[in-house]
Amino acid sequence: MNTQVSLDLKVMLETQGLCKYWGGLKALDDISLQFFDKQLHGIVGPNGAGKSTLLNLLCGHYKPTRGSILHKEEAIEAIKPYAFARRGIGRSFQKTNIYPGATCLENCCVAVQRRMGGSFNILRSRYTQKVLDEIASEALEKVGLGARRDVVASQISYGEQRQLEIAMVLATSPEVLLLDEPMAGMGHEESQLIIELLKTLRREYCIVLVEHDMDAVFELSDQLTVMVDGQHLTTGSVDQVRDDPRVKEAYLGQGDEVF
Amino acid sequence: MLFNKRTERIFFWVFFPLALLMPLFLAENTFFVSKLTSIMIFALFVMSLDYLVGRCGLITLGHAMFYGLGGYLFWMIAPEYEAVNFWVYTFYICMIAAAVALIIGFLVLRTSGIYMIMITLAFAQMAFYFFSDSIEFGGTDGLFIYVKPETSIFGLSFFDLDNPTHFYYLCLLSLFNTLIFFRILIRSRFGRVVDAIHENPGRTTALGYNIFVFRLMSYVIASALGAYAGYLFTLQYGFVNPSMLAWTTSGSALVMSILGGMGSIYGAILGTFVYEGLHYVLEHLTEHWMLFMGALIIAMVMVFKNGIAGSMEKLLEKRT
Ligand SMILES: Nc1ncnc2c1ncn2[C@@H]1O[C@H](COP(=O)(O)OP(=O)(O)OP(=O)(O)O)[C@@H](O)[C@H]1O
Ligand SMILES: [Mg+2]
Repeated sequence: MNTQVSLDLKVMLETQGLCKYWGGLKALDDISLQFFDKQLHGIVGPNGAGKSTLLNLLCGHYKPTRGSILHKEEAIEAIKPYAFARRGIGRSFQKTNIYPGATCLENCCVAVQRRMGGSFNILRSRYTQKVLDEIASEALEKVGLGARRDVVASQISYGEQRQLEIAMVLATSPEVLLLDEPMAGMGHEESQLIIELLKTLRREYCIVLVEHDMDAVFELSDQLTVMVDGQHLTTGSVDQVRDDPRVKEAYLGQGDEVF
Repeated sequence: MLFNKRTERIFFWVFFPLALLMPLFLAENTFFVSKLTSIMIFALFVMSLDYLVGRCGLITLGHAMFYGLGGYLFWMIAPEYEAVNFWVYTFYICMIAAAVALIIGFLVLRTSGIYMIMITLAFAQMAFYFFSDSIEFGGTDGLFIYVKPETSIFGLSFFDLDNPTHFYYLCLLSLFNTLIFFRILIRSRFGRVVDAIHENPGRTTALGYNIFVFRLMSYVIASALGAYAGYLFTLQYGFVNPSMLAWTTSGSALVMSILGGMGSIYGAILGTFVYEGLHYVLEHLTEHWMLFMGALIIAMVMVFKNGIAGSMEKLLEKRT
Protein backbone atom coordinates (compact mmCIF):
# COMPACT_ATOMS: atom_id res chain seq x y z
CA MET A 1 0.00 0.00 0.00
CA ASN A 2 1.28 3.43 -0.77
CA THR A 3 -0.40 5.46 1.89
CA GLN A 4 1.72 8.53 2.55
CA VAL A 5 0.53 10.72 5.37
CA SER A 6 2.49 13.21 7.41
CA LEU A 7 3.06 12.02 10.94
CA ASP A 8 1.45 14.85 12.86
CA LEU A 9 -2.03 13.74 11.85
CA LYS A 10 -4.06 12.07 14.55
CA VAL A 11 -5.76 8.79 13.72
CA MET A 12 -9.39 9.21 14.67
CA LEU A 13 -10.92 6.03 13.40
CA GLU A 14 -9.29 2.84 12.26
CA THR A 15 -10.47 -0.49 10.92
CA GLN A 16 -8.41 -3.65 11.21
CA GLY A 17 -9.24 -6.61 9.01
CA LEU A 18 -12.89 -5.61 8.97
CA CYS A 19 -15.27 -8.12 7.35
CA LYS A 20 -18.99 -8.25 6.83
CA TYR A 21 -20.55 -11.31 5.26
CA TRP A 22 -24.18 -11.72 4.33
CA GLY A 23 -24.41 -15.46 4.16
CA GLY A 24 -21.92 -16.32 1.45
CA LEU A 25 -21.73 -12.79 0.12
CA LYS A 26 -18.61 -10.94 1.20
CA ALA A 27 -19.99 -7.42 1.29
CA LEU A 28 -16.77 -6.31 2.95
CA ASP A 29 -13.62 -8.36 3.10
CA ASP A 30 -10.58 -7.65 5.22
CA ILE A 31 -10.62 -3.86 5.15
CA SER A 32 -7.89 -2.06 7.08
CA LEU A 33 -8.03 1.71 6.85
CA GLN A 34 -7.10 4.74 8.88
CA PHE A 35 -9.16 7.90 9.03
CA PHE A 36 -7.44 11.03 10.25
CA ASP A 37 -8.70 13.94 12.25
CA LYS A 38 -9.32 17.12 10.28
CA GLN A 39 -9.03 15.26 6.99
CA LEU A 40 -11.56 14.25 4.42
CA HIS A 41 -11.34 10.65 3.33
CA GLY A 42 -13.21 9.89 0.13
CA ILE A 43 -14.46 6.42 -0.66
CA VAL A 44 -15.47 5.48 -4.16
CA GLY A 45 -16.31 2.30 -5.98
CA PRO A 46 -18.91 0.82 -8.28
CA ASN A 47 -22.39 -0.12 -7.04
CA GLY A 48 -22.36 -2.88 -4.49
CA ALA A 49 -18.71 -2.30 -3.64
CA GLY A 50 -19.52 -2.26 0.06
CA LYS A 51 -19.20 1.47 0.71
CA SER A 52 -22.47 1.79 2.61
CA THR A 53 -21.71 -1.43 4.45
CA LEU A 54 -18.43 0.06 5.61
CA LEU A 55 -20.17 3.18 6.92
CA ASN A 56 -22.84 1.05 8.57
CA LEU A 57 -20.12 -0.80 10.45
CA LEU A 58 -18.29 2.39 11.37
CA CYS A 59 -21.43 3.91 12.90
CA GLY A 60 -22.46 0.76 14.74
CA HIS A 61 -25.52 0.07 12.65
CA TYR A 62 -24.20 -3.40 11.77
CA LYS A 63 -21.88 -5.60 13.76
CA PRO A 64 -18.79 -6.80 11.88
CA THR A 65 -18.45 -10.49 11.06
CA ARG A 66 -14.80 -10.20 11.93
CA GLY A 67 -12.18 -7.54 12.53
CA SER A 68 -12.20 -4.51 14.73
CA ILE A 69 -12.91 -0.79 14.73
CA LEU A 70 -10.77 1.55 16.78
CA HIS A 71 -11.91 5.00 17.79
CA LYS A 72 -9.16 7.03 19.40
CA GLU A 73 -7.27 3.76 19.84
CA GLU A 74 -10.10 2.05 21.68
CA ALA A 75 -11.85 -0.98 20.22
CA ILE A 76 -15.51 -0.10 19.80
CA GLU A 77 -16.97 -2.79 17.58
CA ALA A 78 -18.73 -4.42 20.53
CA ILE A 79 -20.42 -1.33 21.99
CA LYS A 80 -24.14 -0.64 21.59
CA PRO A 81 -25.29 1.10 18.39
CA TYR A 82 -26.42 4.26 20.20
CA ALA A 83 -23.04 4.54 21.94
CA PHE A 84 -21.30 5.27 18.63
CA ALA A 85 -23.14 8.58 18.29
CA ARG A 86 -22.34 9.40 21.89
CA ARG A 87 -18.66 9.00 21.16
CA GLY A 88 -19.04 11.65 18.49
CA ILE A 89 -19.46 9.45 15.45
CA GLY A 90 -22.27 10.97 13.43
CA ARG A 91 -23.65 9.64 10.22
CA SER A 92 -25.92 10.61 7.39
CA PHE A 93 -27.76 8.02 5.36
CA GLN A 94 -27.80 7.22 1.68
CA LYS A 95 -31.53 6.69 1.87
CA THR A 96 -33.05 9.81 3.42
CA ASN A 97 -33.65 9.08 7.07
CA ILE A 98 -35.40 11.94 8.85
CA TYR A 99 -38.56 12.61 10.88
CA PRO A 100 -40.94 13.46 8.02
CA GLY A 101 -43.81 14.55 10.26
CA ALA A 102 -41.80 17.10 12.25
CA THR A 103 -40.59 20.54 11.21
CA CYS A 104 -37.02 20.95 10.00
CA LEU A 105 -36.20 22.71 13.24
CA GLU A 106 -37.67 19.91 15.34
CA ASN A 107 -35.67 17.36 13.33
CA CYS A 108 -32.50 19.14 14.37
CA CYS A 109 -33.72 19.74 17.93
CA VAL A 110 -33.93 15.99 18.51
CA ALA A 111 -30.29 15.82 17.47
CA VAL A 112 -29.16 18.77 19.60
CA GLN A 113 -31.02 17.60 22.66
CA ARG A 114 -29.14 14.31 22.74
CA ARG A 115 -25.96 16.23 23.38
CA MET A 116 -27.45 18.92 25.61
CA GLY A 117 -29.16 16.38 27.86
CA GLY A 118 -32.36 16.62 29.82
CA SER A 119 -34.03 13.96 27.73
CA PHE A 120 -35.40 12.29 30.83
CA ASN A 121 -37.00 15.46 32.07
CA ILE A 122 -40.72 14.81 31.85
CA LEU A 123 -41.77 18.23 33.11
CA ARG A 124 -39.70 20.79 31.26
CA SER A 125 -41.32 21.96 28.05
CA ARG A 126 -39.55 21.26 24.81
CA TYR A 127 -40.84 24.51 23.35
CA THR A 128 -39.02 26.89 25.66
CA GLN A 129 -35.45 25.92 24.93
CA LYS A 130 -33.77 29.02 23.51
CA VAL A 131 -30.23 27.68 23.39
CA LEU A 132 -31.28 24.37 21.97
CA ASP A 133 -33.35 26.06 19.26
CA GLU A 134 -30.47 28.35 18.39
CA ILE A 135 -28.00 25.52 17.90
CA ALA A 136 -30.57 23.68 15.81
CA SER A 137 -31.24 26.77 13.66
CA GLU A 138 -27.53 27.25 13.22
CA ALA A 139 -27.19 23.75 11.81
CA LEU A 140 -30.04 24.50 9.40
CA GLU A 141 -28.39 27.76 8.33
CA LYS A 142 -25.14 25.95 7.66
CA VAL A 143 -26.70 23.63 5.10
CA GLY A 144 -28.79 26.43 3.59
CA LEU A 145 -32.14 25.50 5.07
CA GLY A 146 -32.53 28.55 7.29
CA ALA A 147 -35.63 29.70 5.46
CA ARG A 148 -37.32 26.33 5.85
CA ARG A 149 -36.96 25.91 9.58
CA ASP A 150 -40.67 25.87 10.39
CA VAL A 151 -41.75 23.78 7.41
CA VAL A 152 -42.70 20.16 7.99
CA ALA A 153 -39.94 17.93 6.64
CA SER A 154 -42.23 15.90 4.41
CA GLN A 155 -43.20 19.12 2.59
CA ILE A 156 -39.70 20.11 1.46
CA SER A 157 -38.09 18.88 -1.75
CA TYR A 158 -36.02 15.71 -1.95
CA GLY A 159 -32.82 17.72 -2.30
CA GLU A 160 -33.71 19.77 0.74
CA GLN A 161 -34.35 16.61 2.71
CA ARG A 162 -30.82 15.54 1.84
CA GLN A 163 -29.62 18.88 3.21
CA LEU A 164 -31.66 18.33 6.36
CA GLU A 165 -30.06 14.93 6.73
CA ILE A 166 -26.66 16.63 6.93
CA ALA A 167 -27.94 19.35 9.26
CA MET A 168 -29.10 16.68 11.70
CA VAL A 169 -25.67 15.11 11.80
CA LEU A 170 -24.01 18.48 12.36
CA ALA A 171 -26.51 19.26 15.11
CA THR A 172 -25.15 16.43 17.24
CA SER A 173 -21.72 18.17 17.12
CA PRO A 174 -19.81 15.05 16.22
CA GLU A 175 -16.06 14.70 15.72
CA VAL A 176 -16.43 12.14 12.96
CA LEU A 177 -18.80 12.65 10.04
CA LEU A 178 -19.75 9.60 8.04
CA LEU A 179 -21.54 10.87 4.96
CA ASP A 180 -23.17 8.39 2.60
CA GLU A 181 -23.70 10.02 -0.79
CA PRO A 182 -24.85 13.33 0.69
CA MET A 183 -25.19 14.92 -2.73
CA ALA A 184 -27.20 12.14 -4.40
CA GLY A 185 -30.46 13.55 -5.70
CA MET A 186 -29.57 17.18 -5.14
CA GLY A 187 -29.77 19.83 -7.80
CA HIS A 188 -26.59 21.46 -9.06
CA GLU A 189 -26.94 24.54 -6.87
CA GLU A 190 -27.60 22.54 -3.74
CA SER A 191 -24.65 20.23 -4.48
CA GLN A 192 -22.45 23.26 -4.89
CA LEU A 193 -23.59 24.52 -1.53
CA ILE A 194 -22.81 21.21 0.15
CA ILE A 195 -19.41 21.05 -1.55
CA GLU A 196 -18.63 24.53 -0.22
CA LEU A 197 -19.84 23.44 3.20
CA LEU A 198 -17.65 20.35 3.16
CA LYS A 199 -14.69 22.50 2.22
CA THR A 200 -15.12 24.46 5.42
CA LEU A 201 -15.88 21.37 7.50
CA ARG A 202 -12.97 19.24 6.34
CA ARG A 203 -10.50 21.09 8.55
CA GLU A 204 -12.76 20.78 11.60
CA TYR A 205 -13.87 17.15 11.52
CA CYS A 206 -12.72 13.73 10.51
CA ILE A 207 -14.92 13.16 7.48
CA VAL A 208 -15.54 9.93 5.60
CA LEU A 209 -17.32 10.74 2.37
CA VAL A 210 -18.90 8.15 0.11
CA GLU A 211 -19.88 9.82 -3.14
CA HIS A 212 -20.53 8.93 -6.75
CA ASP A 213 -19.86 12.45 -8.04
CA MET A 214 -16.18 12.01 -8.99
CA ASP A 215 -15.47 15.68 -9.56
CA ALA A 216 -16.65 16.47 -6.06
CA VAL A 217 -14.67 13.63 -4.50
CA PHE A 218 -11.48 14.57 -6.34
CA GLU A 219 -11.91 18.18 -5.32
CA LEU A 220 -12.57 17.49 -1.65
CA SER A 221 -10.58 14.44 -0.65
CA ASP A 222 -7.28 14.50 1.20
CA GLN A 223 -7.16 10.75 0.88
CA LEU A 224 -9.06 8.51 -1.41
CA THR A 225 -9.93 4.83 -1.18
CA VAL A 226 -11.24 2.76 -4.03
CA MET A 227 -13.26 -0.34 -3.25
CA VAL A 228 -14.50 -3.06 -5.57
CA ASP A 229 -16.72 -5.99 -4.61
CA GLY A 230 -16.04 -5.68 -0.93
CA GLN A 231 -12.29 -5.56 -1.49
CA HIS A 232 -9.92 -2.74 -0.85
CA LEU A 233 -8.33 -1.75 -4.16
CA THR A 234 -6.15 1.19 -3.28
CA THR A 235 -5.77 4.15 -0.97
CA GLY A 236 -3.76 7.26 -1.60
CA SER A 237 -3.84 10.88 -2.56
CA VAL A 238 -6.23 11.93 -5.28
CA ASP A 239 -3.45 12.10 -7.88
CA GLN A 240 -2.08 8.69 -6.97
CA VAL A 241 -5.46 7.08 -7.23
CA ARG A 242 -6.43 8.84 -10.41
CA ASP A 243 -3.35 7.58 -12.21
CA ASP A 244 -3.68 4.04 -10.94
CA PRO A 245 -4.40 1.76 -13.92
CA ARG A 246 -6.23 -0.74 -11.72
CA VAL A 247 -8.76 1.90 -10.82
CA LYS A 248 -9.50 2.63 -14.44
CA GLU A 249 -9.98 -1.06 -15.06
CA ALA A 250 -12.29 -1.44 -12.12
CA TYR A 251 -14.44 1.34 -13.38
CA LEU A 252 -14.58 -0.20 -16.80
CA GLY A 253 -16.53 -3.01 -15.22
CA GLN A 254 -13.83 -5.67 -14.99
CA GLY A 255 -13.72 -5.47 -11.26
CA ASP A 256 -13.58 -9.22 -10.79
CA GLU A 257 -10.60 -9.91 -13.00
CA VAL A 258 -8.45 -7.13 -11.64
CA PHE A 259 -6.79 -9.24 -9.02
CA MET B 1 -49.02 26.00 25.75
CA LEU B 2 -50.25 22.75 27.17
CA PHE B 3 -52.74 22.00 24.42
CA ASN B 4 -51.29 22.80 21.06
CA LYS B 5 -54.48 22.00 19.18
CA ARG B 6 -57.59 24.14 19.22
CA THR B 7 -59.80 21.06 19.12
CA GLU B 8 -58.23 19.79 22.28
CA ARG B 9 -58.78 23.08 24.08
CA ILE B 10 -62.41 23.11 23.01
CA PHE B 11 -62.85 19.54 24.16
CA PHE B 12 -61.22 20.37 27.47
CA TRP B 13 -63.45 23.36 28.13
CA VAL B 14 -66.60 21.51 27.13
CA PHE B 15 -66.01 18.16 28.77
CA PHE B 16 -64.70 19.08 32.19
CA PRO B 17 -67.18 21.86 33.09
CA LEU B 18 -69.99 19.62 31.89
CA ALA B 19 -68.69 16.67 33.88
CA LEU B 20 -68.30 18.92 36.89
CA LEU B 21 -71.94 19.99 36.77
CA MET B 22 -73.42 16.66 35.79
CA PRO B 23 -74.12 15.30 39.30
CA LEU B 24 -76.16 18.42 40.05
CA PHE B 25 -78.63 17.40 37.35
CA LEU B 26 -78.51 13.78 38.30
CA ALA B 27 -78.73 14.28 42.05
CA GLU B 28 -81.46 11.67 42.47
CA ASN B 29 -80.18 9.27 39.88
CA THR B 30 -77.31 7.43 41.54
CA PHE B 31 -77.42 4.76 38.88
CA PHE B 32 -76.43 7.26 36.24
CA VAL B 33 -73.77 8.85 38.38
CA SER B 34 -72.25 5.42 38.95
CA LYS B 35 -72.46 4.59 35.27
CA LEU B 36 -70.60 7.78 34.35
CA THR B 37 -68.05 7.08 37.06
CA SER B 38 -67.26 3.66 35.67
CA ILE B 39 -66.90 5.11 32.18
CA MET B 40 -64.46 7.71 33.46
CA ILE B 41 -62.44 5.03 35.21
CA PHE B 42 -62.22 3.03 32.04
CA ALA B 43 -61.38 6.17 30.06
CA LEU B 44 -58.40 6.64 32.36
CA PHE B 45 -57.32 3.09 31.56
CA VAL B 46 -57.82 3.64 27.83
CA MET B 47 -55.81 6.86 28.07
CA SER B 48 -52.81 5.03 29.51
CA LEU B 49 -53.10 2.47 26.73
CA ASP B 50 -53.47 5.20 24.13
CA TYR B 51 -50.19 6.71 25.27
CA LEU B 52 -48.42 3.37 24.80
CA VAL B 53 -50.01 2.41 21.51
CA GLY B 54 -50.62 5.75 19.85
CA ARG B 55 -47.79 7.79 21.23
CA CYS B 56 -44.98 5.29 21.74
CA GLY B 57 -45.98 2.87 19.00
CA LEU B 58 -45.86 -0.03 21.45
CA ILE B 59 -48.82 -2.20 20.56
CA THR B 60 -49.82 -4.32 23.52
CA LEU B 61 -52.68 -6.71 24.05
CA GLY B 62 -51.75 -7.25 27.67
CA HIS B 63 -52.52 -3.92 29.23
CA ALA B 64 -55.49 -5.37 31.14
CA MET B 65 -52.99 -7.32 33.20
CA PHE B 66 -52.16 -4.10 35.00
CA TYR B 67 -55.81 -3.14 35.27
CA GLY B 68 -56.47 -6.40 37.10
CA LEU B 69 -53.27 -6.12 39.06
CA GLY B 70 -54.43 -2.78 40.46
CA GLY B 71 -57.45 -4.52 41.94
CA TYR B 72 -55.74 -7.68 43.20
CA LEU B 73 -52.86 -5.69 44.66
CA PHE B 74 -55.24 -3.75 46.83
CA TRP B 75 -56.77 -6.96 48.12
CA MET B 76 -53.33 -8.40 48.74
CA ILE B 77 -51.72 -5.52 50.61
CA ALA B 78 -54.64 -3.92 52.43
CA PRO B 79 -55.90 -5.41 55.73
CA GLU B 80 -59.29 -7.03 55.26
CA TYR B 81 -61.37 -5.30 57.93
CA GLU B 82 -59.67 -2.00 58.38
CA ALA B 83 -60.00 1.23 56.41
CA VAL B 84 -56.65 2.24 54.96
CA ASN B 85 -55.70 5.59 53.55
CA PHE B 86 -56.68 5.98 49.90
CA TRP B 87 -53.74 8.19 48.91
CA VAL B 88 -51.14 6.03 50.62
CA TYR B 89 -52.47 2.93 48.91
CA THR B 90 -52.65 4.73 45.59
CA PHE B 91 -48.95 5.32 45.99
CA TYR B 92 -48.26 1.70 47.00
CA ILE B 93 -50.24 0.21 44.17
CA CYS B 94 -48.73 2.47 41.53
CA MET B 95 -45.23 1.73 42.79
CA ILE B 96 -45.69 -2.03 42.90
CA ALA B 97 -47.33 -2.03 39.47
CA ALA B 98 -44.43 0.06 38.18
CA ALA B 99 -41.94 -2.45 39.58
CA VAL B 100 -43.81 -5.32 37.92
CA ALA B 101 -43.94 -3.34 34.67
CA LEU B 102 -40.22 -2.74 34.88
CA ILE B 103 -39.53 -6.48 34.92
CA ILE B 104 -42.13 -7.44 32.33
CA GLY B 105 -41.26 -4.47 30.15
CA PHE B 106 -37.64 -5.49 30.26
CA LEU B 107 -38.57 -8.76 28.58
CA VAL B 108 -41.43 -7.60 26.39
CA LEU B 109 -39.72 -4.54 24.92
CA ARG B 110 -36.90 -6.60 23.45
CA THR B 111 -39.39 -7.55 20.77
CA SER B 112 -41.49 -5.36 18.53
CA GLY B 113 -44.50 -5.40 16.26
CA ILE B 114 -46.42 -8.65 16.03
CA TYR B 115 -44.05 -10.41 18.43
CA MET B 116 -44.65 -7.81 21.06
CA ILE B 117 -48.41 -8.21 20.67
CA MET B 118 -48.01 -11.94 21.17
CA ILE B 119 -45.74 -11.73 24.18
CA THR B 120 -47.82 -9.11 25.97
CA LEU B 121 -50.86 -11.27 25.33
CA ALA B 122 -49.03 -14.32 26.67
CA PHE B 123 -48.09 -12.53 29.89
CA ALA B 124 -51.63 -11.28 30.37
CA GLN B 125 -53.09 -14.74 29.79
CA MET B 126 -50.65 -16.18 32.30
CA ALA B 127 -51.83 -13.65 34.86
CA PHE B 128 -55.45 -14.35 33.93
CA TYR B 129 -55.12 -18.10 34.48
CA PHE B 130 -53.06 -17.62 37.58
CA PHE B 131 -55.77 -15.58 39.26
CA SER B 132 -58.74 -17.49 37.92
CA ASP B 133 -57.27 -20.89 38.85
CA SER B 134 -56.04 -20.10 42.34
CA ILE B 135 -58.31 -20.65 45.30
CA GLU B 136 -56.58 -18.06 47.47
CA PHE B 137 -57.57 -15.39 44.99
CA GLY B 138 -61.15 -16.54 44.76
CA GLY B 139 -60.85 -18.28 41.41
CA THR B 140 -63.22 -17.17 38.70
CA ASP B 141 -65.51 -15.53 41.24
CA GLY B 142 -62.87 -13.11 42.39
CA LEU B 143 -62.80 -11.48 45.77
CA PHE B 144 -64.79 -8.94 47.76
CA ILE B 145 -63.43 -5.78 49.26
CA TYR B 146 -65.27 -5.27 52.54
CA VAL B 147 -63.95 -1.95 53.70
CA LYS B 148 -63.31 1.02 51.46
CA PRO B 149 -60.36 3.30 52.19
CA GLU B 150 -60.77 6.70 53.80
CA THR B 151 -59.35 9.71 52.02
CA SER B 152 -58.01 12.05 54.64
CA ILE B 153 -54.97 14.20 54.06
CA PHE B 154 -53.53 15.59 57.29
CA GLY B 155 -56.81 14.88 58.99
CA LEU B 156 -58.91 16.60 56.34
CA SER B 157 -61.23 14.41 54.37
CA PHE B 158 -62.88 15.59 51.17
CA PHE B 159 -64.23 12.39 49.71
CA ASP B 160 -66.41 9.72 51.19
CA LEU B 161 -65.86 6.76 48.89
CA ASP B 162 -69.18 5.18 49.83
CA ASN B 163 -70.98 8.21 48.48
CA PRO B 164 -71.43 7.76 44.70
CA THR B 165 -71.25 11.49 44.03
CA HIS B 166 -68.05 11.86 46.01
CA PHE B 167 -66.56 8.90 44.22
CA TYR B 168 -67.65 10.42 40.93
CA TYR B 169 -65.67 13.56 41.69
CA LEU B 170 -62.65 11.59 42.79
CA CYS B 171 -62.65 9.76 39.45
CA LEU B 172 -63.21 12.95 37.51
CA LEU B 173 -60.25 14.51 39.31
CA SER B 174 -58.16 11.44 38.50
CA LEU B 175 -59.09 11.60 34.84
CA PHE B 176 -58.35 15.31 34.74
CA ASN B 177 -54.97 14.84 36.38
CA THR B 178 -54.06 11.99 34.06
CA LEU B 179 -54.90 14.05 31.00
CA ILE B 180 -52.84 16.99 32.25
CA PHE B 181 -50.01 14.67 33.23
CA PHE B 182 -49.82 13.10 29.78
CA ARG B 183 -50.05 16.52 28.16
CA ILE B 184 -47.08 17.74 30.19
CA LEU B 185 -45.20 14.54 29.44
CA ILE B 186 -45.76 14.82 25.71
CA ARG B 187 -44.77 18.46 25.67
CA SER B 188 -41.55 17.75 27.58
CA ARG B 189 -38.08 16.95 26.35
CA PHE B 190 -38.80 13.35 27.20
CA GLY B 191 -41.89 13.55 25.00
CA ARG B 192 -39.79 14.86 22.15
CA VAL B 193 -37.69 11.71 22.23
CA VAL B 194 -40.80 9.53 22.55
CA ASP B 195 -42.25 11.16 19.44
CA ALA B 196 -38.95 10.77 17.63
CA ILE B 197 -38.73 7.08 18.51
CA HIS B 198 -42.28 6.52 17.34
CA GLU B 199 -41.67 8.18 14.01
CA ASN B 200 -38.23 6.79 13.24
CA PRO B 201 -36.57 4.51 15.81
CA GLY B 202 -33.56 3.76 13.63
CA ARG B 203 -32.68 7.40 13.19
CA THR B 204 -33.16 8.07 16.86
CA THR B 205 -30.66 5.34 17.72
CA ALA B 206 -28.26 6.76 15.15
CA LEU B 207 -28.52 10.11 16.92
CA GLY B 208 -27.33 8.42 20.10
CA TYR B 209 -30.48 7.69 22.08
CA ASN B 210 -30.89 4.42 23.91
CA ILE B 211 -34.46 3.92 22.74
CA PHE B 212 -34.99 0.87 24.94
CA VAL B 213 -34.77 2.98 28.09
CA PHE B 214 -37.30 5.50 26.81
CA ARG B 215 -39.71 2.76 25.86
CA LEU B 216 -39.26 1.06 29.20
CA MET B 217 -39.97 4.28 31.07
CA SER B 218 -43.10 4.86 29.02
CA TYR B 219 -44.22 1.30 29.63
CA VAL B 220 -43.73 1.67 33.37
CA ILE B 221 -45.63 4.96 33.53
CA ALA B 222 -48.57 3.69 31.47
CA SER B 223 -48.74 0.44 33.42
CA ALA B 224 -48.78 2.20 36.78
CA LEU B 225 -51.66 4.38 35.60
CA GLY B 226 -53.45 1.35 34.19
CA ALA B 227 -53.17 -0.26 37.61
CA TYR B 228 -54.53 2.89 39.22
CA ALA B 229 -57.61 2.63 37.00
CA GLY B 230 -58.10 -0.98 38.06
CA TYR B 231 -57.78 0.08 41.69
CA LEU B 232 -60.52 2.67 41.20
CA PHE B 233 -62.71 0.04 39.52
CA THR B 234 -62.27 -2.27 42.48
CA LEU B 235 -63.15 0.48 44.90
CA GLN B 236 -66.26 1.37 42.96
CA TYR B 237 -67.73 -2.10 42.78
CA GLY B 238 -66.13 -3.56 45.88
CA PHE B 239 -64.71 -6.61 44.18
CA VAL B 240 -61.91 -7.90 42.01
CA ASN B 241 -62.47 -10.46 39.36
CA PRO B 242 -60.26 -12.24 36.79
CA SER B 243 -62.33 -10.80 33.93
CA MET B 244 -60.54 -7.52 34.63
CA LEU B 245 -57.39 -9.25 33.35
CA ALA B 246 -59.00 -10.90 30.36
CA TRP B 247 -57.61 -10.13 26.94
CA THR B 248 -61.06 -8.88 25.92
CA THR B 249 -60.58 -6.02 28.37
CA SER B 250 -57.35 -5.08 26.57
CA GLY B 251 -59.07 -5.56 23.24
CA SER B 252 -62.03 -3.31 23.92
CA ALA B 253 -59.73 -0.67 25.39
CA LEU B 254 -57.73 -0.82 22.17
CA VAL B 255 -60.91 -0.38 20.13
CA MET B 256 -61.89 2.65 22.23
CA SER B 257 -58.46 4.15 21.76
CA ILE B 258 -58.62 3.66 17.99
CA LEU B 259 -62.18 4.98 17.88
CA GLY B 260 -61.18 8.08 19.86
CA GLY B 261 -58.10 8.80 17.79
CA MET B 262 -54.87 7.01 18.56
CA GLY B 263 -52.15 9.03 20.18
CA SER B 264 -54.35 12.04 20.82
CA ILE B 265 -54.73 11.19 24.55
CA TYR B 266 -57.95 13.21 24.96
CA GLY B 267 -59.42 10.99 22.25
CA ALA B 268 -59.37 8.19 24.81
CA ILE B 269 -62.14 9.99 26.70
CA LEU B 270 -64.14 10.50 23.51
CA GLY B 271 -63.67 6.92 22.38
CA THR B 272 -64.64 5.43 25.73
CA PHE B 273 -67.74 7.58 26.12
CA VAL B 274 -68.95 6.92 22.58
CA TYR B 275 -68.30 3.20 22.87
CA GLU B 276 -69.90 2.82 26.27
CA GLY B 277 -72.75 5.13 25.31
CA LEU B 278 -73.54 3.03 22.26
CA HIS B 279 -73.19 -0.11 24.28
CA TYR B 280 -75.69 1.19 26.81
CA VAL B 281 -78.24 2.31 24.24
CA LEU B 282 -78.03 -0.79 22.04
CA GLU B 283 -78.15 -3.10 25.01
CA HIS B 284 -81.53 -1.67 25.90
CA LEU B 285 -82.88 -1.79 22.37
CA THR B 286 -82.03 -5.31 21.34
CA GLU B 287 -80.56 -8.47 22.70
CA HIS B 288 -78.44 -8.76 19.55
CA TRP B 289 -76.63 -5.61 20.58
CA MET B 290 -73.19 -7.14 19.97
CA LEU B 291 -73.92 -7.55 16.29
CA PHE B 292 -75.01 -3.93 15.86
CA MET B 293 -72.21 -2.69 18.04
CA GLY B 294 -69.66 -4.48 15.85
CA ALA B 295 -71.16 -3.08 12.67
CA LEU B 296 -71.27 0.43 14.11
CA ILE B 297 -67.66 0.28 15.31
CA ILE B 298 -66.49 -0.86 11.88
CA ALA B 299 -68.48 1.93 10.23
CA MET B 300 -67.14 4.58 12.60
CA VAL B 301 -63.53 3.50 12.29
CA MET B 302 -63.89 3.68 8.52
CA VAL B 303 -65.67 7.02 8.48
CA PHE B 304 -63.55 8.76 11.09
CA LYS B 305 -60.03 8.65 9.76
CA ASN B 306 -57.70 9.02 12.74
CA GLY B 307 -60.64 8.51 15.07
CA ILE B 308 -63.16 10.94 16.41
CA ALA B 309 -60.46 13.31 17.61
CA GLY B 310 -58.80 13.25 14.20
CA SER B 311 -62.06 14.03 12.43
CA MET B 312 -62.86 16.85 14.81
CA GLU B 313 -59.42 18.30 14.25
CA LYS B 314 -59.97 18.18 10.52
CA LEU B 315 -63.09 20.30 10.94
CA LEU B 316 -61.85 22.69 13.58
CA GLU B 317 -58.17 23.29 12.91
CA LYS B 318 -57.17 26.16 10.71
CA ARG B 319 -55.56 24.84 7.59
CA THR B 320 -52.07 26.06 7.02
N1 LIG C 1 -28.76 -5.98 4.86
C1 LIG C 1 -28.20 -6.66 3.84
N2 LIG C 1 -28.48 -7.97 3.65
C2 LIG C 1 -27.91 -8.67 2.64
N3 LIG C 1 -27.06 -8.14 1.76
C3 LIG C 1 -26.74 -6.83 1.90
C4 LIG C 1 -27.28 -6.03 2.94
N4 LIG C 1 -26.78 -4.78 2.83
C5 LIG C 1 -25.98 -4.80 1.78
N5 LIG C 1 -25.93 -6.02 1.20
C6 LIG C 1 -25.13 -6.41 0.03
O1 LIG C 1 -23.80 -6.06 0.28
C7 LIG C 1 -23.18 -5.56 -0.91
C8 LIG C 1 -22.59 -4.21 -0.66
O2 LIG C 1 -23.65 -3.27 -0.50
P1 LIG C 1 -23.42 -1.74 -0.17
O3 LIG C 1 -24.76 -1.14 0.06
O4 LIG C 1 -22.44 -1.60 0.91
O5 LIG C 1 -22.82 -1.20 -1.53
P2 LIG C 1 -22.47 0.29 -1.93
O6 LIG C 1 -21.03 0.31 -2.26
O7 LIG C 1 -22.94 1.25 -0.90
O8 LIG C 1 -23.30 0.45 -3.25
P3 LIG C 1 -24.11 1.73 -3.81
O9 LIG C 1 -23.13 2.53 -4.57
O10 LIG C 1 -25.13 1.11 -4.69
O11 LIG C 1 -24.71 2.44 -2.65
C9 LIG C 1 -24.25 -5.56 -1.99
O12 LIG C 1 -24.07 -6.71 -2.79
C10 LIG C 1 -25.54 -5.65 -1.21
O13 LIG C 1 -26.51 -6.35 -1.95
MG1 LIG D 1 -24.32 2.71 -0.77
